[in-house]
Amino acid sequence: MDPLRQDEFDSQACGSMAPKAKPCPRPKPGEAAGGCSFDGAQITLLPIMDAAHLVHGPIACAGNSWESRGTLSSGPSLSQYGFATDLTDSDIIFGGEKKLKDSIDYIAGRFAPPAIFVYSTCVTALIGEDMDAVCKEAADRIGIPVIPVNSPGFVGSKNLGNRLAGDALLQYVIGTGEPEPETDLGVNLIGEYNIAGEMWDIEKLMNSAGIAVTSRITGDARYKEITWAHRARVNMVVCSRALLGLAREMESRYGIPYFEGSFYGAKETTYSLRQMAYLMNDREMERRVDRLTEREEARLSQELRPYRKLLRGKRAVLYTGGVKSWSVISALKELGVQVVGVGTNKSTEDDVRRIADRVGDDTEYIPEGGASRIIKTVRERKADIMIAGGRNMYVAMKEQIPFIDINQERHKAYAGYEGLLRLAKELTYSLANPIWKLAASPAPWDKEAPPYDR
Amino acid sequence: MTVNRRKKPASVNPMKIGQSLGAVLALQGCYRAMPLIHGSQGCSAFPKALLTRHFREPIAVQTSALQEMDVIFDANRNLEEALNLVLSKHRPDIIGIIGTELTDVAGVDYQNMLKTYKRERNMRGGLAFSVVLPDFRGSLESGFSSTVESMIDEMIQQVGHRGQRSMNTRQITLLPGSFLTPADVMELKEIISSFGFEVIALPDISTSLSGHLLTGFSPLTRGGVPLDSMLQSLQSGLTIAVGGSMERPARRLHNAIGTPYKVFEGAMGLKATDELLHFLHQISGEPVPLRYCWQRENLLDSMLDAHFQFAGMSVVAALEPDHLHSVSGWLEELGVEQKALITSFETPLIAGMEREVWVGDLDDAEVLGKGADLWISNSHGIAGAKRTGAAFMPAGFPVWNELGAYMSVSAGYRGAMEWSNKAGNLLMQREAGSRESSVRHR
Ligand code: SF4
Repeated sequence: MDPLRQDEFDSQACGSMAPKAKPCPRPKPGEAAGGCSFDGAQITLLPIMDAAHLVHGPIACAGNSWESRGTLSSGPSLSQYGFATDLTDSDIIFGGEKKLKDSIDYIAGRFAPPAIFVYSTCVTALIGEDMDAVCKEAADRIGIPVIPVNSPGFVGSKNLGNRLAGDALLQYVIGTGEPEPETDLGVNLIGEYNIAGEMWDIEKLMNSAGIAVTSRITGDARYKEITWAHRARVNMVVCSRALLGLAREMESRYGIPYFEGSFYGAKETTYSLRQMAYLMNDREMERRVDRLTEREEARLSQELRPYRKLLRGKRAVLYTGGVKSWSVISALKELGVQVVGVGTNKSTEDDVRRIADRVGDDTEYIPEGGASRIIKTVRERKADIMIAGGRNMYVAMKEQIPFIDINQERHKAYAGYEGLLRLAKELTYSLANPIWKLAASPAPWDKEAPPYDR
Repeated sequence: MTVNRRKKPASVNPMKIGQSLGAVLALQGCYRAMPLIHGSQGCSAFPKALLTRHFREPIAVQTSALQEMDVIFDANRNLEEALNLVLSKHRPDIIGIIGTELTDVAGVDYQNMLKTYKRERNMRGGLAFSVVLPDFRGSLESGFSSTVESMIDEMIQQVGHRGQRSMNTRQITLLPGSFLTPADVMELKEIISSFGFEVIALPDISTSLSGHLLTGFSPLTRGGVPLDSMLQSLQSGLTIAVGGSMERPARRLHNAIGTPYKVFEGAMGLKATDELLHFLHQISGEPVPLRYCWQRENLLDSMLDAHFQFAGMSVVAALEPDHLHSVSGWLEELGVEQKALITSFETPLIAGMEREVWVGDLDDAEVLGKGADLWISNSHGIAGAKRTGAAFMPAGFPVWNELGAYMSVSAGYRGAMEWSNKAGNLLMQREAGSRESSVRHR
């Protein structure tokens, strides 16, 4: 087994709570949820906005997945095009390599992208298409990078897909370019995908402390900037353990120090900014960061006051993947919201430890079990609100539980100081909405009889 | 007239949707059902997310969660495990096993496995069937109709052994096509029952994906046609299929148990609705209810009001085959130019159309529909419509940029009126917008 895969199978990396060295549990047929590795690879690479992303396989992998994420672009939108080789029966029988080659040529000719990412899918992996060879040959022929992403859905989880995408960046992109001479070098943001424009809030914040972003990996990125990521002075891994391997490898290859951080909550944001300045080893910058964070925190605390009053003592159940669990807990705690239940389904031991550091003893851990398990916790713990991914949104609505979407598809940016304020507002609006009372009261003619199914 | 394809190797901005998603959709219209996709995780996660996004409802679906080695060695072990778990834990009334391109290419024979499974466990009472739906053929529409066909097949087999069929001439089985919204299915049920018929819709998404406040979470479907009604539908005196794709399931019923059937290619626009109501009037002997006479006049009046808006306008429409056929008929009545019609795959209905139709994607819509004033497609078309400067009207699947899209009606006179007004308003706004900007620029 190649090292990357081996890594996935050790419990530390794959995210199970099982004791070390036990293999990652296989998804349970009939009870599995969540996307495939192909999905994961796309999550990581699609935010490279000016590149073309071509899916090699039958239509559904691409057709069912394009435009499904809330990652925003400040300019080019080629990455929002859905490209697929759309294989048919006969392509499968005679092999799809010719069609892949033609598709690459076609896209290069018509859209002139700086690079093309080519994704394998289950079927093309199964029939043994030599994607690497086709890509290499095409790159030589057309003179732009054509990058194979070998992450077919059936190799594993979404997380593994993130990692395989990171691997493709290491192997084919990072280190292949040099920044323009006047570029101000600073920090790579790894694993920040500009969901709902969060990246923009963060970048603004960093810039006002005088910290430059070297490469965005990959939120609202341009292909070129990732080629020179190896020139950054610090790597920050934002809420994504899946790309930790990328940071580690860049440390050993290029000597770039890294740290893991988050921008959810004022405290975490301040910590992350400080950490950047510290790792850059720049006293002046540290002072600037201190001044900025003090000012921002003071302003935020003013603005938060009315919301804090309303939110104090409210109880929330939080169900989100991996790292976000602990980072969002910090944000909620700052608002006075008590987390009474938290999902640990995709968390690593490290994450769980961090969760434990941040919540009280009476918080319930929800290891798995999907919607019914979450709802049970909400009911038993008398939670006021559920914070989870879009998949569970309408389940919560059916149960008439106030809900906030925290995952990839959401439209609200919660990162940084501004983001915390936004989160406070959203929580307040959601809890105060008149619908909860209206929905709970029966029609006048039903007042006598109990409503059905309760 | 002709069906064309633009020559290009890759699909750019696809509108085609995997067949298995159509199967999952069909099963949402059956009560206490569980679609089980035999494939890798992503093949169920993507459709689930997409259907949730469109209908804004929880969607029931499970997967056999194949991983690389399972596909190569023993994919059926996963399926068996999944079946065991779903059956013991949730006790569904209906379970539909959906084969994917992955099991197809790997040559997995799960149909035999299912037979043995059912025999060994002496499974009775429920409905368990399988359907083969690789993604390199067809689209949402064909996945949906094939699933209904397989479902009917299984029903017939189950009941078939129990002797004579008693026929109920006052009962009609409605086979609504995949392009109909929950509100459309409701509208059709109402229209048919207003002539004194009992209607059993198969499947019936009007009671499962239309929004309800049933509490008590279940991973199974929470609405739709219950199994006993499904089986009872075999006693219907007539089948009404809406959409060309539903002819095959209707024919299946006819061939197996002799139920006569009538296919309506669409139910959109004045003529199509006239035809439906006239037919119902004839077979029931009942007069057309007054409210439809009113609605017919309302529709005609609103078309008169709106015709100024449509004069000289052109439209590009990219929709699934049956839907495109319906919409094209309605556009005909509005008198707009149909600049380009694009669909996801070729069907007999499409091949028989009098207009030129292109099999392709939303990029084709952009190129061929250049200069059109109105763009009709699923929400993936927003960007293309913007680039070509057309007003965008969401329709089909998936629609995520509009609240309540799944409750919009296109069927009947009411539906035609709603659509005509909507399209007219969009054109009016666009005109106002361009007038404003031309003033500003001066
Ligand atoms: S699991 Fe495989 S076939 Fe299914 S969507 Fe993912 S890559 Fe495509």
